[in-house]
Amino acid sequence: MFGYIPLGMAFGVLFQSLGYHWLFAPLAGIVIYAGSAQFMAVGLLTAGVSYTEAWIATFLLNSRHFFYGLSLLDRYPKRGVSRWYLIFGLTDETYSLLSAKAPGRRESDRYYLYLTGLNQSYWVVGCALGASLQSFFEFDSRGFEFTLLALFLVLLIEQIRVMSEHWLLMIALVSSVVAYGLIPNQFLLAANGMCLLVLLWRWSRVRSHG
Amino acid sequence: MDNQYLLIMFAVMAFATFVTRALPFVAFSRSLDHPMLVYLGRCLPPMIMVVLVFFGLKGLQIETGDRLAHAVLALVVVTTLQLLMRNSLISILVGTGLYIFGIQALDL
Repeated sequence: MFGYIPLGMAFGVLFQSLGYHWLFAPLAGIVIYAGSAQFMAVGLLTAGVSYTEAWIATFLLNSRHFFYGLSLLDRYPKRGVSRWYLIFGLTDETYSLLSAKAPGRRESDRYYLYLTGLNQSYWVVGCALGASLQSFFEFDSRGFEFTLLALFLVLLIEQIRVMSEHWLLMIALVSSVVAYGLIPNQFLLAANGMCLLVLLWRWSRVRSHG
Repeated sequence: MDNQYLLIMFAVMAFATFVTRALPFVAFSRSLDHPMLVYLGRCLPPMIMVVLVFFGLKGLQIETGDRLAHAVLALVVVTTLQLLMRNSLISILVGTGLYIFGIQALDL
């Protein structure tokens, strides 16, 4: 959980390269609250993309959260403000902590709230620390963009562990190269779209052959 | 710096993120184990991650062979640490630290 402080700091440092007031970094941590999406936001803001493009890119990047939610439907409280806060705060980190608990066993709502709230406060503190330090001392931030790549790679390694059909990773790699070559401006949309199409095609074959 | 652009971008991204998290809770009132969703849920996330790793590499803006070799080295370190220790924070911080060292101190 403390991992969110150094990661948040890396985001804060990177965010300062854009030149906005440092207070906007913790604001991002409060309202967006998504590690990888916030790192991507720095790239999107630098490129000055349209709002539509930002929406699509963020939606695709975070579409994995959809599947997190699916596996937690039974565990979350049925109604109330706490339900919506828990849904809002369902990050990769929080999900891995919640799902590490024995399946089927339901912890108290208060425990979930405590964990989710603590995670977010670490993250916001990290964002604020990184951005404010960078704005006061202006140290060299070249190379910090590697954090995003390392984060994605670690998530990939953890997800490969639960995956059965590894040839699909090659499909994803080919999709990336093709999308990069053909439509680099809509890279995420094109590459992920190809992956989804192949998966749906594969699914229809699996089903029809029993 | 255009604060209005920044704030609208934040709002757009916050909304998109919330939608991805809220969708299953709004669409299904109880656990849904439709086999197609189970299949997609198992296979799509790692594929998206491959695309995102590619996206992250693209973001490094590698122009020289030295820098490419250095980035690959840092990625190998991240992978090795993650396979051996399964501690995401250590893998990310050590790998990033190594990359930053190469970029700043060795001027790759």
